[in-house]
Amino acid sequence: MRERSGAVDRLGPVRAVAQRLAGPFLVVVSMMFIVLGKADVLLFDRLRVAVADAAAPIFHVIAEPVATVAAGIRRAEGVFDLYRENERLREENARLLQWQEVARRLQAENAELRNLTKFSPEGANRAIAAQVIANSGGAFVRNVLINAGTRDGVIRGQAAVTGDGLVGRVAEVGERAARILLLTDLNSRIPVMLDGSRERAVLAGDNSDQPRLLYLPATITPTKGERIVTAGAGGVFPPGLPVGIIASVEGGIVRVEPYAELARIEYVRVVDFGLAGVLPQSAVPLPKAAKGARNADPDAAR
Amino acid sequence: MRLVLFQREAGLPNKLVPFATTLLFVLLSLVPWHIPGFAVVTPAFALMAVYHWTIYRVDLLPPITVFAAGLLLDLLNGTPYVGVSALSLLITRAVLLDQRRFFVNRLFPVLWAGFLVTATAVIAFEWALVSVLHGALLGTRPFVFEAVLTVASFPIGSLILARAQRAFLARV
Repeated sequence: MRERSGAVDRLGPVRAVAQRLAGPFLVVVSMMFIVLGKADVLLFDRLRVAVADAAAPIFHVIAEPVATVAAGIRRAEGVFDLYRENERLREENARLLQWQEVARRLQAENAELRNLTKFSPEGANRAIAAQVIANSGGAFVRNVLINAGTRDGVIRGQAAVTGDGLVGRVAEVGERAARILLLTDLNSRIPVMLDGSRERAVLAGDNSDQPRLLYLPATITPTKGERIVTAGAGGVFPPGLPVGIIASVEGGIVRVEPYAELARIEYVRVVDFGLAGVLPQSAVPLPKAAKGARNADPDAAR
Repeated sequence: MRLVLFQREAGLPNKLVPFATTLLFVLLSLVPWHIPGFAVVTPAFALMAVYHWTIYRVDLLPPITVFAAGLLLDLLNGTPYVGVSALSLLITRAVLLDQRRFFVNRLFPVLWAGFLVTATAVIAFEWALVSVLHGALLGTRPFVFEAVLTVASFPIGSLILARAQRAFLARV
């Protein structure tokens, strides 16, 4: 301490030089970080999780009043077209009642058929509800931070959905926060299938609002308006979650409009398929039995 | 401009206002507003803070502060390219440092026009950098949107920063 106060004048030029060099030095450090991040992904993954975990309570505090304001804005918006909204809902209700009828019939039929085939159902999906506390904001990243983490049972790779459809998957998990990589992110790749033909494809985000369908078999010509659902490949992802509809097919580029309104997600459900769902104990011998049965059939025919 | 290193008489907490507001603006750019279109891309608030303090009180905004803010932004927004924001904010500070005399004590429209140029350049730089890192040209739409949004919301950010400066740094 004594030394320093006496040395201020002498050290002045040294400090000035150090300060002058601080900028270029940190520029180099930033560049090194960028290169390092490309080489060693794990290091920054850990760092990101730690920072997100630490910031989660702060965001939680900020998000509360902001959500209130946003809700107020939306309510004001709603008042203006209350009449039109009412009409629309009335129509939709009538249509949904018809669907309910159809669904009931199918449910009964399904139960009966399952009973007939001794089908063992998948483990019941547990859903973890979470609030979106932050989003990426930048122009080149599409993700959201939610206030649920390992302590709530969130696991990396799980699917995040809203009432409308798939939002993305869990990319990083901290103790009390997790990051959901949205469908639209540059690095998002999700195995999906066409609902009609059951053809597999990969839904790849490219930073635009409508992700692309990749690796579709060349023989398949998708049509606009076709439904896309998750394929469930890779284990932790439940199959059959609604993803979106094909919005455009132009020059071999197929774009999908997600069902979920990714710009205004407030709450998500993280679908816990459970390891039991990936490899159901009771279902393990089932495929074998089924295969055996199929193999047995031609034999019997011969 | 003279750098005073140990100014005992002036309050240290006040001197931390540029640092604190820059961090606050980093957090602000990540808060979900749940307004359609807005949440996907939010204004680059951190850039406003760096712009403002570089012009008015660069002595209280050392490179390490800018670096820390950029790094925090990169880690919080979950980009796989950690360091991009830190780098672009540091370059912003360095380039503005030479131009700041032009902006000090000018009318707000001049300041705003300067920010328009700065924000456009920075966001174009980020687009180019991330395109190189990703290995493919990215769509320009989100970047254009971010630039427009950032420039359009500059008056609000500028107002907050100017208020903070007047309240805490008038005599520091």
